[in-house]
Amino acid sequence: MSKYFGGCDVGSTYTKCVILNEKGEMVANTTIRSKINSEQSSRLALEQTIAQVPELKSVEDLDYLIGTGYGRNKVPSADENISEISCHAMGVHVTNPQVKAIIDIGGQDVKGISIDTDGTVKNFAMNDKCAAGTGRFYEAMANAFEMSLPEFSKLSLSAKNVIPITAQCTVFAESEVITLVGEGKPMDEIAAGIQLAVAKRCFVMAKKAGATDSITLTGGCAKNDGLKKAIEHVLKLKVIDLDIDPQLMGALGAAEYARQKGLAKG
Amino acid sequence: MKDLKHLIYFESLLEDAHNELVRQAIDSGGLALGYTCYHMPEVLLNVDRCFSLRLRAPRTGSMDIATYYMSNYTCEFCRALLERAIEGGYNFLSALMAVDACAEMNRCAENIEVQKLVPNEKFFVTHIDIPYKVTDYTIRHYTTQVRVHVLDRLKEVYGVDVSDEALRKAVEEHNEVCRILTEIGQLRKADNPVITGYEYHILNLVSYCCPKALILPKLRETLEELRTREPDEKPRFRARVILVGSEVDDPDFTQLIEEAGALIVADRHCFGSFPGRQEILLNDEEDVLTQICRDYLVTSQCPRYMSQEKIDGRRQFAAQLAKEYKADGVIYEQIKFCDYWGFERPIASQIMHTEFGYPVLSVDRPYMSRSSGQLRTRMQAFVESLEIKKIQREREAEKA
Repeated sequence: MSKYFGGCDVGSTYTKCVILNEKGEMVANTTIRSKINSEQSSRLALEQTIAQVPELKSVEDLDYLIGTGYGRNKVPSADENISEISCHAMGVHVTNPQVKAIIDIGGQDVKGISIDTDGTVKNFAMNDKCAAGTGRFYEAMANAFEMSLPEFSKLSLSAKNVIPITAQCTVFAESEVITLVGEGKPMDEIAAGIQLAVAKRCFVMAKKAGATDSITLTGGCAKNDGLKKAIEHVLKLKVIDLDIDPQLMGALGAAEYARQKGLAKG
Repeated sequence: MKDLKHLIYFESLLEDAHNELVRQAIDSGGLALGYTCYHMPEVLLNVDRCFSLRLRAPRTGSMDIATYYMSNYTCEFCRALLERAIEGGYNFLSALMAVDACAEMNRCAENIEVQKLVPNEKFFVTHIDIPYKVTDYTIRHYTTQVRVHVLDRLKEVYGVDVSDEALRKAVEEHNEVCRILTEIGQLRKADNPVITGYEYHILNLVSYCCPKALILPKLRETLEELRTREPDEKPRFRARVILVGSEVDDPDFTQLIEEAGALIVADRHCFGSFPGRQEILLNDEEDVLTQICRDYLVTSQCPRYMSQEKIDGRRQFAAQLAKEYKADGVIYEQIKFCDYWGFERPIASQIMHTEFGYPVLSVDRPYMSRSSGQLRTRMQAFVESLEIKKIQREREAEKA
């Protein structure tokens, strides 16, 4: 039987799972909404991913499995866990080795990561407990607009002007947005202001991590085109699009580490 | 490694400022003198029947009332102490020995004084002025401050014997604690040390937070135990780090770092052993008090001193520790809103990397940080990067 290697990224909002073959090709992947219980989330994601590979019957059939994300130590049968910072760097490196920096916007944190030539982390910066500028922040804002996240992103792209949002805190920003909407300000310009507020936060993380050029976005929020545009505006750089779903980068990096370690183990 | 015999007991002593040994000392007529900063010479608070207690606020929860008095944008350590005082957690103190070293701690001490938070009849709060330069003149000023505001007050209010003979006796006891902790600290230089950073932090903390005379027998026993303790056959840590920064009295924080795989081999922070656990060597020629005061002022590594010479000295000191203790990296930490470390940390963490070549993790953190998932992730990622760099260095060496 061929050898397969798994990476499971248990995030606060979504759980992602990737399986690689010996050559490092992605043969299966899954993204599911995280449950309150990390173990349950990872079990479910692993089951769904394993079902996509006919040769695999259970998680024990994987030659090496690595957990990552905030629930990384709850992945059943994992051989070890690695921080999502290292995994995102590796995931992006194997997807596009030209990329030298990442802004990862997850459900509850924002990270700036610079990547070394071998895919390891050169430097990184991360936000603290506060949820400002994270996926949770977007969910709260989209809720205030009574829209889905893709609708919200599309709306922000149509704005000709930007109304800056002064509050960084999710709770205060939501209240500021409601006030602006109540004052009859254009919705698209408020939405663009929200994107700019998050982009500014990303700017700080990217600079702290030492990002200079060839940057990409990972995490669920990377699919938000409005944010991408705002980040390009503040960083004065073109954000590189990845060929693989950017939300999978953590799980892909974990799987790649699993592949390297599994093959070294023999 | 086999568990240290007294570790659980030491941990229990750190669960409350008013711990078993403090109660025992007070019951025997001891005077509990609270203090919060290295600039209040600890050794002088152990004169005669007094004993020093470096204040902590273990198990801090809400800091709502302290935040009301001190605002959100002040150091959480200061607010946690005030909150604990408001809760009645320091009602056993005979005096609070405050220093005018940082404005935020000053506000905390003033609140304790003005709000009369400690109901003991003779309780008093005293403040001493700390100079910003270390010269003969400022040492004289500092010595006078200590004599007038600390020793004279203790004599006047509680009839404490503050003679030179009593001071020398206190220094002797202090030096024994320092000798024990220094010898234990030296063990951390080994490639596979017989003590973890967490265990050392616990030992050091109890030496700050318990009456010296009562904790000494247990420290002596622990030293004996460590002399023959066998290390783990295979070291469980993936990297060695030194911890540099502001106040760390939370052993859970050091445990969080070590759970991520980094062994803390030296501690250069408030409540750490560098400085604080080095002997004070007295001569017979000069006045005892002046010698003690000079020692504290000269050895302070606090970033409140802003002369270039002092700034450079602090970086050199951290680099020297990293070299001596064979650290792979340095963690610079600060409690959020600490004025001095807010400047020191970002700059020093850059310079330690660019000029001294050490990988650095720079974090600001809340007073109690055990539950921070983000902090845990940062620590783990740092350890992973140190480990990879180590592997790469080994590979390059093999090739060469």
